[in-house]
Amino acid sequence: MAMKFMGYRRPNGTVGIRNFVAIIPSVFCANSTVENIANQVEGAVALRHPVGCTQVGLDFEITARTLIAMGNHPNVAAVVVVGLGCERFKPEELYEGIKASGKPVVKFVIQEEGGTTNTIAKGVAAAKEFAKLASEMKRVECDLSELMVATKCGGTDATSGLAANPAVGEACDLLIAQGGSAILSELNELLSTEDMLARRAINEEVAKKVYSAIYEIEGVLRNKIDERFPGRNELISPGNFVGGVSTIVEKALGGVHKSGTSPIVDVLDYSVAPKEGQKGLFLMKYESQDGEVVTGMIGCGAQLVAFTTGRGNPTGFPFAPVIKVTGNQFTYESMKENFDFYAGGIISDGVSVKETGKQLLEMIIRVANGELTTAEKIHGNELFVIARR
Amino acid sequence: MLRKSLVVNPRDSVAMVLENANKGDVIQTIRGEITLLENIEFAHKVAIVDVEKQQSVYKYGEEIGFAKTAIPKGSWIHGHNLGCDRGTKKDIGGKP
Repeated sequence: MAMKFMGYRRPNGTVGIRNFVAIIPSVFCANSTVENIANQVEGAVALRHPVGCTQVGLDFEITARTLIAMGNHPNVAAVVVVGLGCERFKPEELYEGIKASGKPVVKFVIQEEGGTTNTIAKGVAAAKEFAKLASEMKRVECDLSELMVATKCGGTDATSGLAANPAVGEACDLLIAQGGSAILSELNELLSTEDMLARRAINEEVAKKVYSAIYEIEGVLRNKIDERFPGRNELISPGNFVGGVSTIVEKALGGVHKSGTSPIVDVLDYSVAPKEGQKGLFLMKYESQDGEVVTGMIGCGAQLVAFTTGRGNPTGFPFAPVIKVTGNQFTYESMKENFDFYAGGIISDGVSVKETGKQLLEMIIRVANGELTTAEKIHGNELFVIARR
Repeated sequence: MLRKSLVVNPRDSVAMVLENANKGDVIQTIRGEITLLENIEFAHKVAIVDVEKQQSVYKYGEEIGFAKTAIPKGSWIHGHNLGCDRGTKKDIGGKP
């Protein structure tokens, strides 16, 4: 089955499945200004964040590359950068980083414009012009090889490992068989799966990267355990526990299913795209905090997210669709408005994982073509969170 | 009463109960008929073999932890009797 989707081809060759004008602050001090601008322009989204100043080293680098990656993301048609003027992450660097992708971008600096009122007025005028430009862009037929899906568990229960994650894994395998890509991350929730993941690496070098990535995160986790705070050191959430998951390893053995069975092509850093021409399954180095890990995978170039949840979860991303998948029939019945795909037939009706995965890929393609997800309908934007180190 | 359940992998020492079940209810498994020794909720685990203290517990065909106490078959298996050292103990898991 040769499947296609309709996407927006950007000047640098990447393909988007949404067409927003992004209003991006280079520093948190510009957040209100940015929201004011976005609120006045149809088709604009504000990327509110809490960073951009007083950071050093890797912490600063992650902010810089993530914000540039957001501006360069193919789901974004054009960008208005808003800076304050004295921040460490210079608005010029953000502006130049985005300009390199060839997409329309402008920059306003609050201290240079003489305050928020002038900045908002100029920002709104520019964003309206960009929105008009975006409305004239047309979707074109694209190969599935242009699509990259981020995978994520949020609000796992014991049904996730049986139904929702295997369904996502099957959909990823089908997508990758057509030349597409997927990302697995949440390395703290992959403890004990390192041998099976390393066996799936395309070569020895990648296998070593898999081991070192998982052990590094295990070290981070171990060092965070602090006996002074009993009751604050659990590695799985209360919801996971109530939902029947007993240990981090049980969670991992269920979670790893969402990556399917494809070979692991490479291990990616946070918000760093694969090397030119690399396609297939990737592992991204990060922990499982929902917003931070989703933002990193979108920073790597994923255009949409397949998000499994047994407990139920309403969150979304400002400019990327998040498809909510559950295998829990009770959660599905009680929170239907927050779900896009029901995989529970695998448990209750003996529907095969193969068939469910195929239907999920069909939904992924419909969403890529423009069908709105439940999180988009409620303008969910909680998952844009830049990681700190 | 007979309750729906699933053993994910033939190596497993647990079954998942696929509906809320009560003490005295029965599940059919690859290890024969198991009578539940306590109430067990949807998607939670029940021991389908007797597990000795410190012995490994298997689900998905892999070790998910160790028995903190002796666990007779038919018991609910969860945090009260199942331990796991990954991510916490210094001598478990590799080094970067």
